[in-house]
Amino acid sequence: MQDSFIESLESRGLTRRAFLGFCGTIAAAIGIEGVTAADVAEAIESNSLIGTNGGLGEGALAPVIWMELGSCTGCTESFAQADNPDPATLILEYLALNYAETLSAAAGYSLEEAREETIEAAKGKYVVVIEGAVMTRYDGEILRIAGAPTCAPHESHLLHTCKDAAVVIAAGSCAVDGGFCAAYPNPGDAEGIQKYLKDNGVSTPVVNLPSCPVNPANLVAVIVQYLLLGPESVVAGLNEFNMPAAMYGETIHDNCERRGHFENGEFVYEFGSEEEAKGYCLYALGCKGPQTKANCPQVRWNRRVSWCVASGAPCIGCCNGDPRTTVRNWIDVDSPFLGRLKTLRLGDIAFQPTPVALGVTGLLTAALVVHGIGMKATGRTKGGAPFEKEREWDVKHGKKEPSTVPVVEEQVVVDFEEGK
Amino acid sequence: MAKHSIIDPVDRIEGHLRVEMEVENGVVTDAWVSGGLFRGLELIAEGRDPYDAAMLAQRVCGVCPVSHCHTSVFAAEEAYGIQIPEGGRLVRNLIEGAQFMHSHILWFYQLSALDYVNPLHALEADINKTYALCETLGLAQTDFAALKDRLAKFAQNGQYSWLSGGWFMDGLAPEAYKLPAEVDLIATAHYIEAIDMQATADEISAIIGGKMPHVQTSIPGGTAWYPSVEKLDDILFRATKLKEWVDNVMIPDAIAIASVYLNDVATIGNNKHGNFMAYGVFDRPSRELDDRFFPAGIVRMGSGAPVLEQFDGAYITEGTTHAYYKDSGEPLHPTVGVTELPEKFPGYYKDAAAEIVNDKYTWSKAPRYDGEPMEVGPLARVLVSYMSGNPEIVAGVNAVLTGLKLPVDASSVMALNSALGRLAARPIEASAVAGYMIDWCGELVELLGLIEAGAVEGNPWFAERVRDTGLGEGFWEAPRGALYHTETLAGNTITHYQEVVPTTWNISPRDEHGVPGTIEQGLIGTPVANIEAPINALRIVHGYDPCVACAVHIVEPKTGREFKMHTSPWGGR
Repeated sequence: MQDSFIESLESRGLTRRAFLGFCGTIAAAIGIEGVTAADVAEAIESNSLIGTNGGLGEGALAPVIWMELGSCTGCTESFAQADNPDPATLILEYLALNYAETLSAAAGYSLEEAREETIEAAKGKYVVVIEGAVMTRYDGEILRIAGAPTCAPHESHLLHTCKDAAVVIAAGSCAVDGGFCAAYPNPGDAEGIQKYLKDNGVSTPVVNLPSCPVNPANLVAVIVQYLLLGPESVVAGLNEFNMPAAMYGETIHDNCERRGHFENGEFVYEFGSEEEAKGYCLYALGCKGPQTKANCPQVRWNRRVSWCVASGAPCIGCCNGDPRTTVRNWIDVDSPFLGRLKTLRLGDIAFQPTPVALGVTGLLTAALVVHGIGMKATGRTKGGAPFEKEREWDVKHGKKEPSTVPVVEEQVVVDFEEGK
Repeated sequence: MAKHSIIDPVDRIEGHLRVEMEVENGVVTDAWVSGGLFRGLELIAEGRDPYDAAMLAQRVCGVCPVSHCHTSVFAAEEAYGIQIPEGGRLVRNLIEGAQFMHSHILWFYQLSALDYVNPLHALEADINKTYALCETLGLAQTDFAALKDRLAKFAQNGQYSWLSGGWFMDGLAPEAYKLPAEVDLIATAHYIEAIDMQATADEISAIIGGKMPHVQTSIPGGTAWYPSVEKLDDILFRATKLKEWVDNVMIPDAIAIASVYLNDVATIGNNKHGNFMAYGVFDRPSRELDDRFFPAGIVRMGSGAPVLEQFDGAYITEGTTHAYYKDSGEPLHPTVGVTELPEKFPGYYKDAAAEIVNDKYTWSKAPRYDGEPMEVGPLARVLVSYMSGNPEIVAGVNAVLTGLKLPVDASSVMALNSALGRLAARPIEASAVAGYMIDWCGELVELLGLIEAGAVEGNPWFAERVRDTGLGEGFWEAPRGALYHTETLAGNTITHYQEVVPTTWNISPRDEHGVPGTIEQGLIGTPVANIEAPINALRIVHGYDPCVACAVHIVEPKTGREFKMHTSPWGGR
């Protein structure tokens, strides 16, 4: 690294060591084989934007407004599990976290005042993090904060706050598309922030980070990228769902540590069994890894100690979602979580996708086709895995689909027109 | 003339809460606590299976997802007609314990401490005096000089980040912050250490559950996590570290802070009704509620000494008279409870200009036990455990009372019905729970040895259901109090689901007889020096650690006064 570059880091109180640590955070979240912290460091160094700090200039902490909507506070909790940088370093040395209901020292009016002051003083240069779903029932009266319906149409605290932000980060599946709050029958008319802003004419770019809760490794990586390279850099890396392509580009199944057992046809059929003790594949218990795109196997959770599949739980697909609509929320797409052949629920109708034989078993293909995810053309599943054993097991255990909605036995094609 | 003092949002809680108080001659004369959000998870659970419901139930609260999950699976297992194997019991205790550790540490430092501690005042601390004070208090030491430099740099920059608008700032309630600068510095150091400690506790949950919040391996029938000696060793190491930290840092901090504020916290937040209730948590092999490590029970402190009574779930009802929902008529037992949204939002105020609160003013229902309001939470559990003779809790309470130079007798126990009791209850519990976790790790290692030796019949972790139709109830405790779920199953599909969560008991609105809820009663009589920053009210509310994600925001008043810039997001500009 060049001396001038290190000096510019140090002028912001960032040691070379800390900087490389942050680069490691980004590299881990990107999760592309062969990309190391040093590569990220080089890319940042060669890009002279370092120190722009989101366009704020040297020394200033980047202002952040963290708004909690229809949530369980789990995403704030998850943020508190971050490391490298850890939350204390973030709020003391990098971010001016001026409004955060769960952490702020202020309460009531003085808290609302801090939000107003931030918007006023930092127009176009602050970040909004949204946690939870936009709750629209009763014109937003279903969620009242500071004496007003927070998610009212046309004019609201929420629109006012997002309008002048540099970027809005939708942290967690509820903020992306309503998440579990939007699950059938969607009692509070929950929806994602991207849809809400678009419907109300606000064009601030949205970065969607689905999963339940948000994975702190991904959230912190986006924040660090914003601080080092600016909002344009963050936005440039998004896919068609406004999710960072590097984080949500490959399926969990592709990178799963139990993948070898899948190839060998070695499955867990019962929780707590010998097969689980051996760490066999959880597909037979309904694992949604093959239809869920996320980097959980690489970045893991809680300072990397584990992740769902490593602990013996089939993936329940909490990173699935579509910011343009509410009916593809992860609960309705992925439940029943233990079911393999999916009954999909889209609003008031439920249907079973027609299995399509494509050389692998109909079962697996159906799941993949419905979600528009092609198996990688590696031929890894050629010949199919021995699923007969599971079917026998299902028959024996009387496994059936729980659903009170009539099931339509045909394929339903649903178009999601942009913006609806 | 009476004025209204409003805190909205109440922050440093989970979810959305509003507290509106009528203040006359500097004292609260009436209070309305309003839960600001309805999500309808009970409605979403219907039509799904119990496994899915357990995953959904966790999303009620991202702070105590493990408790919601467990309560949901207890209900499912009763409906399924099964009891889980011993291995399942121990693993569930361990992950629940980890969540208690996480939640209690997070509450004491991140959610509550800023009502007592002013991190900016720590800049005036004398470093030598700070070390001497640590010595006196028996506290572990850290590099206080480096922390002071770090805080100085932060303060010089002038952007106060998450401290912006803190009530220790001028114009709000600075006179209410009384710690010597050295104690402020020590407590700030521990505030930062606590971030690492709560994450350490969550790592235990994640080792077992895959991730935290929202664990994945506690499921109807037992656990999906298959332990190994290595994984248990990873957990034991963390549990031991937590136990040492709580005993050497958190408990001395609690005593140091409570000693300075004794006259404030011991005189506010008496819940008036004197009723405390716990369902019990951490199963023993008997699986009986009364036999739990922290047992079920009711403690009443009317006049005279506290009395312990047996708990019976049949006495629980919920009313909707003052909640936004359609009125269910008579209060109902939750197994037949109804959650029905109104056609039209009724409005919070009847007359906003005159500040007259509507008859219906919250999304929280009004639960009652045998017709009476109850306080639930760490204090209720500690009192029930104390009266039941739990040795760890008896020793913990007595040690704190002694540390505060209070006599160890019934009158001091009665005095715990206050903000003081709620401040002390969590560290006492955390120390006991960490000790239990260490024991459970040992028991699990023994069990693995028996499995290895072929001495265990059947699946030690998971039991298949024996039927798929029936009614089940789960009684358990979240860190913030008594938690109940019920589900009715037909063909493994849920036809009815209801939850009565701890915060609903505490933030309950008035009932059909007009009797206010627990926090509402607790606020009445509170001195309010500045209606624009009613710090005592905030301390009382935080003592209950409302989780309105589960079930309420404190509202500062709209006096029309222009607030001075307490802080600029741009520092000196």
